[in-house]
Amino acid sequence: MQVQIFSMNKKLLVAAMLATSVTAFSQPRLPDNYYWQKLDNGLEVVVIENHKVPLATIEIAVKNGAYTEGPEYSGLSHLFEHMFFKANKDYPDQEKFIKRTEELGMIWNGTTGDERVNYFFTFDKDSLNAGLKFMNAAIRFPIYRTEDMQKERPVVDGEFQRAESDPYFQLWITVGKKVWGDLFTRKNPIGDHDIINSATPEKMMVIKDKYYFPNNSLLVITGDVKPAEAFAKVKAIFGDWASSGFNPHEKYPIPEFKPIEKTEYFVKESPIAQTPYVMYVWQGPDTRRDSVGTLAADVFSTVLGLNSSKWQQALVDKGLASYAGVSYQSAAHVGPVQILAVPNPGKLKEFTAEVLNQVNHFADADYFTDEQLQTAKDILRRNFIRSNEKPSALSSTLTFWWCSASLDYYTDYMKNLMNVTRADIQNYLKKYVIDKPYVAGMIINEDMSKQLKVNEFFKN
Amino acid sequence: MKKIFQYTICLVALALPFAGSAQKQASPYDMTINGVKVIVQPSGNDIVVIQTIIKGGVQNYPASKAGIENLAINALTECGTMTDDKNSFKDKLDKVSAQVGGSSGMDFASFSLNCIKSDFDEVWPLYTDALTSPRFDPKEFDRIKQDAINNLRASESSPDNAINKLAKQTAFAGTNYAKEPQGTVASITALTPAETKKYWQSIFTRSRMVIVVVADLDKATIEQKVKALLSKVPAGAPFVEQKKSYTPAANSFKEEQRANATNYVRGIASGPLPGSPDYNAFSLAMSIFASRHFLEVRSKHGLSYAPQAWFSGGTTPYANLSVTTTEPDKYIAVARGLIDKVKKEGFTADELKNEKTGFLTGIYYRNETNEAQAASLASNEVLHGNWKRSIQIKEDVDKVTLQQLNSVFNKYINNITWVYQGDPKKVTPTMYTQKETPKMPAEKKAF
Repeated sequence: MQVQIFSMNKKLLVAAMLATSVTAFSQPRLPDNYYWQKLDNGLEVVVIENHKVPLATIEIAVKNGAYTEGPEYSGLSHLFEHMFFKANKDYPDQEKFIKRTEELGMIWNGTTGDERVNYFFTFDKDSLNAGLKFMNAAIRFPIYRTEDMQKERPVVDGEFQRAESDPYFQLWITVGKKVWGDLFTRKNPIGDHDIINSATPEKMMVIKDKYYFPNNSLLVITGDVKPAEAFAKVKAIFGDWASSGFNPHEKYPIPEFKPIEKTEYFVKESPIAQTPYVMYVWQGPDTRRDSVGTLAADVFSTVLGLNSSKWQQALVDKGLASYAGVSYQSAAHVGPVQILAVPNPGKLKEFTAEVLNQVNHFADADYFTDEQLQTAKDILRRNFIRSNEKPSALSSTLTFWWCSASLDYYTDYMKNLMNVTRADIQNYLKKYVIDKPYVAGMIINEDMSKQLKVNEFFKN
Repeated sequence: MKKIFQYTICLVALALPFAGSAQKQASPYDMTINGVKVIVQPSGNDIVVIQTIIKGGVQNYPASKAGIENLAINALTECGTMTDDKNSFKDKLDKVSAQVGGSSGMDFASFSLNCIKSDFDEVWPLYTDALTSPRFDPKEFDRIKQDAINNLRASESSPDNAINKLAKQTAFAGTNYAKEPQGTVASITALTPAETKKYWQSIFTRSRMVIVVVADLDKATIEQKVKALLSKVPAGAPFVEQKKSYTPAANSFKEEQRANATNYVRGIASGPLPGSPDYNAFSLAMSIFASRHFLEVRSKHGLSYAPQAWFSGGTTPYANLSVTTTEPDKYIAVARGLIDKVKKEGFTADELKNEKTGFLTGIYYRNETNEAQAASLASNEVLHGNWKRSIQIKEDVDKVTLQQLNSVFNKYINNITWVYQGDPKKVTPTMYTQKETPKMPAEKKAF
């Protein structure tokens, strides 16, 4: 799909005219076949018309998640997401809830991230009205019973324990605590065992009353649907969902993260790490304050993924690591820049030295060629085409960007990536990475750690 | 543009190798070129996917050589070709962001090309070079061998991989399905580039091949290109994939101490062979059972985040039950009680009706991409000898009756091979092995 910039095309105009009572809000830029409306209650609605398969997917995303959680609520956006699938006024227990999903032949799920909680259902295109009503009952009229929560708490905690059984997660969480300091809960959607296990219906209501309003949500319908009909159905079903009357993120502002004070290294020994993993993290740009930086980060990460890059040649081609990736996670509130590697245990010392050597040269004028820069952009462009292949996944992509940037950012993303210059990348690196404090961690089993004397060289 | 660490509630697993033709796509067809079946599904989009399938999987090598097929396939793109050294080859792929590579599983290997249609003429020569004239450069081979060992250790660090491996090695001990396609540290360490190249040449024969194309390429172009490719491939000896049933003689339980934050339980039971009349009914039965298992274990008893049940329908087919839980004794009481209940009372007509509706959603949902469609066509051809099953499945599933559903569940879900990793002090093995269904253990504090 080609990204197109326009304010309103002909089809959209027709769709908008059919929904006559929708207030005239300024239109965001959107790709072709994407249609947008905002209801009077503030609910933004996007319909993505795609007739590849006879299915419809509906998704509601709420600007909620780890970033809204102080220590006393750590992990409760996620528990709330689970409770969404438990009981509501139309389907008062989970057995009835699941039975309804089976009647509609529905595939359903939800996720909780740093800056978004989303719920999505996919079903036959003819069940759109029934699916919207089902979503409406679940998002607006949930029922929180103490006994249901007692059953769900160990389920959510079990998800946590599964994650804790994985060495990568253990490394990630230990690095995260050091990168984000006192505000780590705002980057940790899985949360805290004690908070999860003592959660109450009252705390669920606090979350609902802060964030679960139409003016803090985006509803996306994707698939084999007609936009005008879809908008009309949404208005009929969600039109009386009352606005909160306030912007939750103004009323409950997200505190700013403090910069990492000084570079810190640690080695975590764990019997489940059969081979070492290494992670380095810097605090990077965010879409609120430096959108050019976020784009430069994505292009630079792609350059470093090229087989011909100095990074891959020095680390993977030379056999110092099986994998060495650099990535940036886009966020509205400070995205992390991360190196994740699976080093060759026999060359761990050389690997550690080479990573630093490479990082120190990241911003050099000759660190990558013009040809590599262009190849990276071409890869991003082709990946974008591929990312639009699966209709049921389009909603989640859009809601991610709505929560962590904006619809305009998403629509302009490819065009703006193509405009990223070498200077933009160097500015990004100098501002966030070169000579900036970072946290470096390694997880390794005890025997290997002693044998390789890791503490002697993996240090500041 | 990366999203990490999102926590999801689990979809009920539907591990069924089915596909459906999409609404906007032209009809698929097949043709035989130089003795090789070529299956073509027009895609209706700008993405080209081609998969070359090599039949056999774990049947192709002894346990002592486990990992050789995966290493050989990795070497096709990582150790250069006669035209390009490794860096030149990979740089050319990067230039057009094409994905060329593959892997070998339990029943077959797949070597895939995925590119944008306008790049196809540049990518196709690289793809065929990798298949027909791989260099197996010794220096690069040493590197990928070390990577394979590192990846094996990394994979063993994952608790889900670890329980999966233990379950297969316990249930299928002494058979082909006990072999690990990724190999072991010992088997991979011993492999040489010469031996691995020779092995590749021995299995890359027309007699083992199927080619699947999901793309909007005209028939003449496909015919001409595939013909040129196959002219460089030897005919080989006839090959027939062996199928073998798994029927445990009794319940069994094997435990392993592992420093997990929770306990992992996996059960393996019997299942019908691909191509047998019970196959579709059992697929539906396990899918309905998965929903009940989820409801009973998670919703009603809060015993697990991820209770799952599914049917692995390969050449050795088997049913799976899987859970992570802090209370493994309670879980087994609930799971075995549920199995008894289904056997005694059966599934309901409503459940079958709803499952058929959901099945269709699942067919379309799982086959929205060219890669998924190609994989479905390939697995149906290799396992069932009938790629058209991929697009006829709706009609086939509609024919399944309630009586068949209940009959196959009773027939195949009997003795179960259980394995366990975590804290052995938390589990009572006899509750898993005893003939009669265990009672729910006395209440104790979960945390």
